[in-house]
Amino acid sequence: MSTVTRVSDLSRREIRSSLREGSLLLHLGPFAQLISGSSDPLIDFLQDTYRDCQVELFPSDVTDVHLNLRAPNILRKFFRPQVVPDPGFEVPAVPLPIEMAPLAFEMGLNLSVALKCCRFVTIHAGVVADKDGAILMSAESGSGKSTLTAALLERGYRLFSDEFALVGLGDAVLQPYPRPISLKEETIPIVRELAGDEWISPIVKGSPKGDIAYRRARRSDIDQSHKQAKAKLILFPEFEPGMRPYKRRLNTAEAILRLIPASTNFGLLGEQAYLAITRLFDDAVAYELSYGSTEQSLSLIDEALQERDDHAA
Amino acid sequence: MIMQRKALKQIVGLKPLPEKVLKRIKLMIFADAHHVLGQMAAALTGAHEGKINDVFDNALLRTAHDHRMLHFEMNRLERALEGTEITPILLKGAAYVARDLKAAQGRRVSDIDILVREEELDQVEKLLMQAGWKADQETDNEYDQEYYRQWMHELPPMRHGKRGTIIDVHHLLLPRTARYKIGIDQMIDGARTIEASALKTFCPADVFIHSAIHAFADGAFDNPVRGFIEHYYLFQDLNESDRKDLCVRAEQVGAEKPVGLAVWCVGFLFSDENAQKMAKNMKKPMLFWLLRWALISKAMDGLTSPLAKALLYIRSHYLRMPMRLLVPHLTRKAIQWRPMSRKPVDLPLP
Repeated sequence: MSTVTRVSDLSRREIRSSLREGSLLLHLGPFAQLISGSSDPLIDFLQDTYRDCQVELFPSDVTDVHLNLRAPNILRKFFRPQVVPDPGFEVPAVPLPIEMAPLAFEMGLNLSVALKCCRFVTIHAGVVADKDGAILMSAESGSGKSTLTAALLERGYRLFSDEFALVGLGDAVLQPYPRPISLKEETIPIVRELAGDEWISPIVKGSPKGDIAYRRARRSDIDQSHKQAKAKLILFPEFEPGMRPYKRRLNTAEAILRLIPASTNFGLLGEQAYLAITRLFDDAVAYELSYGSTEQSLSLIDEALQERDDHAA
Repeated sequence: MIMQRKALKQIVGLKPLPEKVLKRIKLMIFADAHHVLGQMAAALTGAHEGKINDVFDNALLRTAHDHRMLHFEMNRLERALEGTEITPILLKGAAYVARDLKAAQGRRVSDIDILVREEELDQVEKLLMQAGWKADQETDNEYDQEYYRQWMHELPPMRHGKRGTIIDVHHLLLPRTARYKIGIDQMIDGARTIEASALKTFCPADVFIHSAIHAFADGAFDNPVRGFIEHYYLFQDLNESDRKDLCVRAEQVGAEKPVGLAVWCVGFLFSDENAQKMAKNMKKPMLFWLLRWALISKAMDGLTSPLAKALLYIRSHYLRMPMRLLVPHLTRKAIQWRPMSRKPVDLPLP
């Protein structure tokens, strides 16, 4: 019989045998993900960073995603083992040493969601929410999006996602998908400072993207991952050391034109995606932000929220 | 083999889905890997509860995109040829979508294939170039360009400069050197205009005939599961009189053997009695028993599939050209060979 439990309630042996069978089902937000491919680094990672997530050792239903973390060839299964994420379609992924299995796992899930799950408009963005609504932050890698997302968690927001805004096709409502926040290089100590040491995973050193660590989602984020929210603020943040804090209100048209290229499936969904993105602005206003420190970005967001409320009143 | 025939039947909805979840997951992975998940979704959507509907939604949204793209390309094609007397015949996926056949429902489509008369070829190429199509990079070298023009049944593939979509312009259904000689003029004469359009499709019997030729007389049956399912649906789309036509027509145009094989496959794999009856009276290709084993092994991807693939590969070349052409061609290709370039994809990565 299959039952849903938290990763932390399972023994290492149970996880290992389920990963070997390819029957470990990870539930998170709107997606069910079937994972196969056992390795010690992956089990360590799941037990640490995904400890509060809901899983089944035997799947009770079919899944959105099936991700196989396998050796690139038979030699690399035994000799200096390597791992590649295999989401069932061809992806441009380089084999990584087995110690980097967590990275392969995260990349594999991201690819699967970006390219396979088209019942939502997926936009490359960080999303957090409180009871008034969600803040969506769309930015290129390296613009401080992850740090900002992590900082907002400390302000009482719940984590939706650090990677994808999932926008519902009819209603433009945002879906939580609270995977761990991926931190690169110099952002690791910043977020460690913000969140506290116990929330940061061990560092994966020397990956193709430099040093990587993850800020774990909190149990409350995971337990509320079925609770959707409407967007209230849409931000295009840009971090540069020493930059003077600056914010500019964007009109809806400009904001839409900036969200479209950040979507991984806009072209595929066409009109439906366009309508959903447009509807985001039923309740939300958009700003471009530039800043040189996390505190500055937070006060800019406070100002933006205040302006929005003043406008509504 | 019994179990695997079951998989095909489950995909088209002739048999219920496996109750056991792991088996059901495997079936869906199988369907996805063989590019028929969309067709499975179209056949079964709404019939089940739970997660499967999400997975089907994903697949249907994707094929909806393909079909939209195809309609747009058809429109651009008409526009490119406007003012000429040329009325291209849509082939394969484009034809199924344009005619809204069962074979189109949930089908993935990537390229658009058209057929024109050989004497129209130069003009069509010129007009398409003016409309923004260019020689596709993959074959844009002197050898390939000449090879296509001298020996093949189509122009070298053209890719649209802005939209990136591919169009294949055929003037025959098989290479000039192929062993089967198909009565293409008869097929072109029998083609029917699509309402409110300058485009045509083959008559229903010829649509099936072309699909059979494409699967069993050209190439190494590269997408077997999809091919079988295509034949099944195309056969369902033929009415009583189309089916009578099919036998006569297949003989007329010189495609009795591949058509016989396709009808046999529909009968055997999907237990379709009409197809079984019909296949009995039709000619089959040489070494029929070996061929049908190879086709099915390749589709099911079991232990024997490498041997099956090798056989089909050799057969495809045997059918395609005589030795005096084949040997120099393969030598040239072997020298030119380079690892498959992976298409770059823009992805948001952590």
